[in-house]
Amino acid sequence: MPTFKLNGQDIPFEPGDTIIRAAWRAGVEIPHYCWHPGLSVAANCRMCLVHIKSGRQMALPVLVWDEAKQKYVPGTKPKLQPACQIAAAEGMEVDSVGEEVEQAHAHVQEFLLLNHPVDCPICDQAGECKLQDYYEEHQHTLKRKRTEPVHKPKAVRFGPTIVYDAERCIMCTRCIRFCDEVARDHVLDMRERGNRNEIVLAPGRQLDHKYTLMTEHVCPVGALTSRDFRFKARVWFLKTVPGVCSGCATGCTTHVDFDPRNGKVYRLRPRDNEACNQYWMCDDGMMSYKELHEGRVLTPVRGRGDEAELLLVEEAVDAAVAALRGVDHGKIGVVLSALHSNEDNFVLARLAEELGTDKLYLAARDAKLEGWEGDEILRHADPNPNRAGAHAAAGRTIEESVEDLVSDVLAGEVRAVIALGPWCGERAESLAPLAQLDAFICLSANEGTLPELASLLIPAASWAEQSGSFTNAKGISQEFERAVPAPNGVLPAWQTLVHVAAGLGLNLRYGRTSEVRNHMNAKPAASAAAPV
Amino acid sequence: MSDEFQPLLTSRYGIEGSHTLAVAEKHGAYRTARRALTMMSPEQIKEEVKKASLRGRGGAGFPAGVKWGFLNPKEGEEVYLVVNGDESEPGTFKDRTIMNQDPHRLIEGILITCWAIGAHTAYIYVRGELKHSIDSLDAALAEARTKGYVGDRPFGKPHPIHIWTHSGAGAYICGEETALLNSLEGRRGEPRLKPPFPAVKGAFGMPTIVNNVETISAVPDIVELGGERWCSLSRLAPTDGGVRLYGISGHVKKPGIYEAPVGITMRELIYDYGGGMLHDDHPLKAVIPGGSSTPVLRPDWTVDAPNEDHPLHAWHGKSELDVPMGVDTYRALGTMLGTCCATVMDDTVNMVEACRNLMRFYRHESCGQCTPCREGGAWLVDVLDGLLSGRGKVDDVNMLVDIANNMMGNTICAFGEGTAMPLLGFVQRFADEFVEVAKRGLPLDVRHDESTRALVKGGVAA
Repeated sequence: MPTFKLNGQDIPFEPGDTIIRAAWRAGVEIPHYCWHPGLSVAANCRMCLVHIKSGRQMALPVLVWDEAKQKYVPGTKPKLQPACQIAAAEGMEVDSVGEEVEQAHAHVQEFLLLNHPVDCPICDQAGECKLQDYYEEHQHTLKRKRTEPVHKPKAVRFGPTIVYDAERCIMCTRCIRFCDEVARDHVLDMRERGNRNEIVLAPGRQLDHKYTLMTEHVCPVGALTSRDFRFKARVWFLKTVPGVCSGCATGCTTHVDFDPRNGKVYRLRPRDNEACNQYWMCDDGMMSYKELHEGRVLTPVRGRGDEAELLLVEEAVDAAVAALRGVDHGKIGVVLSALHSNEDNFVLARLAEELGTDKLYLAARDAKLEGWEGDEILRHADPNPNRAGAHAAAGRTIEESVEDLVSDVLAGEVRAVIALGPWCGERAESLAPLAQLDAFICLSANEGTLPELASLLIPAASWAEQSGSFTNAKGISQEFERAVPAPNGVLPAWQTLVHVAAGLGLNLRYGRTSEVRNHMNAKPAASAAAPV
Repeated sequence: MSDEFQPLLTSRYGIEGSHTLAVAEKHGAYRTARRALTMMSPEQIKEEVKKASLRGRGGAGFPAGVKWGFLNPKEGEEVYLVVNGDESEPGTFKDRTIMNQDPHRLIEGILITCWAIGAHTAYIYVRGELKHSIDSLDAALAEARTKGYVGDRPFGKPHPIHIWTHSGAGAYICGEETALLNSLEGRRGEPRLKPPFPAVKGAFGMPTIVNNVETISAVPDIVELGGERWCSLSRLAPTDGGVRLYGISGHVKKPGIYEAPVGITMRELIYDYGGGMLHDDHPLKAVIPGGSSTPVLRPDWTVDAPNEDHPLHAWHGKSELDVPMGVDTYRALGTMLGTCCATVMDDTVNMVEACRNLMRFYRHESCGQCTPCREGGAWLVDVLDGLLSGRGKVDDVNMLVDIANNMMGNTICAFGEGTAMPLLGFVQRFADEFVEVAKRGLPLDVRHDESTRALVKGGVAA
């Protein structure tokens, strides 16, 4: 691979790479605002100016103070170039440090802050704001402008999800370019000129496509804020673990931002992933963290309706064992879930094996029922994160849906059910026959149609409360880590299943996630998941 | 002023009805175009223009022949000619005289140029405020279309040439060629990133030549006289050829547009063509040579070029006014020839005030795309406001230089330099006056414009 030198360091590049992209790939940051690896080059912030040693001096003079003559005389300086625009070339020598370059960085930074309101204490971007970071790193001066800054519209509601503050905006146009190039909806543009310009909505429009939260994500400053996140948390209190979005079969990789002090997840952000979601996520995916805190199943429940009886978490396993004890193992239906992790599905499939039942079914969310629409950008037509993983866990493609389970129950072939997950793609009405079962054990993190009908409902840890993995539609298995602790006593579904197996005297012994994973990966069928 | 000078560009100025096809044709219009299209090959024309050393008349002074040479259209690409008539530079008013008084000269130039560069479509982008010029061009185009000069077979040649006028919407930045192309395409008037240059990817993504109105209007004369002969009309031949329009405005007796050979001196322009200073008791203090973006000149400053290899050595020790007005000579002088329309200021003008006046223009006209120009331009006005209103400090003058120095070269287009350069020129040549104003505010004996008066009285700055 050809290389060029950046501050004396060899940087490899692919033909067509700009200086900043090659450096970024090599892990060297050249300061920038408007450049984004997933967007076109605008070169308007001028923060990434670098000195190309083979370049020319400026043809036009600047003024320098001549101490001897006690007057300003014409001087010269190198013509700096934006690293985001100039293509890397073999043997090129580039400096992103050095007096002239640092002076340019300092001044661009100063220019950007001239009219910027210093409202960091109430700004949600504070703590992850490039203006703050680069001020510390590059500016080195106090504010020299002493007059009133330019005032512009504040707290402009752009749509259901985004609020805009024109005074904080540095006009990098990332949001405009994101909407144009990724979301393919020219809903944002710029109006006015000079330092009075601002970002505006297209007339008669709202910012309401499926990727609006990405505009906030690409905004390098606090100009665009998410109505969901604003004023909720200070980012320096948040910790981050890698996650995988549970919204659809694309399986976008995420950063899960949570506050360890209260065990709450505050937001998801896309995690760069060339193979899957590049740099983006859709709004529904970004908001899918809500299910961690809303509509959760926290207590085991035995019985339905008026006869429902709350159990202690510790009693749930015994209750499950008791419910299954009298049933012919061959007539136990096992429902895997396309919403649960590979680990949960694998252990349940193993349990089925130990029970000696071949009655496997797959519960999955139904796009139509959920009002889910896929698109050509990121959103997969299948709103389930782990259909491929569930198939892999079973070692085969599970054709049988919950609809088939209902017919088997009516036919008397299935007398008891162990099911994962809240949703099954069926309306509650069509599931009524499941009420006839001797036992219907459901392990679920959230309320839904299956938990509603269960004769024994056992809470399960959500995806943020355990480490696990999802296998997306492309067959890529991606791991996520535990962010927050599960509610008191609640276990991941697979652990509950291990305890139930032990209660039934079956040989299913897993202590840690790594043991499940090792066993799972040892089974070839599980590792080579069939693409959906 | 030499009596034997034969006007070329302005040969039909002042003739009754010169904007009509009948009168223009009676006085020679379209003769050259007919000859060029029927008897000359595109290569011959390009060769003549190259020999003519025709430097672009829009301000940058890039050789037109070289620019045309950058064209190398790929298979299936259409070439466009775009004529820049966005004349918005303060102090500049030359192109409109061609469009108003002799539109057929421009159309003739376009026909020849289109034939030479292989274009079938030309757009004349005219500044929106120049309603009269647009109407004049439209009327002239209608006549030329009726005659068949503009259309599918101009002068019988099976090389269709269609010409359209396009009105700007009053943005100075749209005179920058790539912003102009954006505006022409219906986009926001913001300069594009270069490369690619318009000759590779211009209007509608196609190879495009963008030339100034006066540049294109000179083409018929070049073809008529031959490149070498036309070039030799200049006093700065062979690097900067031909004749050009000189504008002069401000404190002179006869402001206006004059045609003269390239390379006359500023002194000739002011005192011969311009008729001398407006008031005999108010001497010349400063002159902005070629539109507001060009650094100001001072008559009492002399050329400092003791080295023999300095391009201005011949004028060492002479006044800046005595250097011939050419693209390269003025560049060497530390200013620019720009549009060659000078603004003359006598000793009643305060230079800080004049500077602020210009900076207000640039603040207003910056497209706001890139940071240094958007913020720096406005900050300059802010600091100048402070100086003029008596709130300033001497160190503010250094700050002005610091701001401008860091706009220079750091922007997407030349607007940043067009703002910073004149400011640096004012400070360099009138540093004492800036320091004086910083110390004591604006002297009471200068004439203020309305906005400065409000400022001095403590009112709100415009």
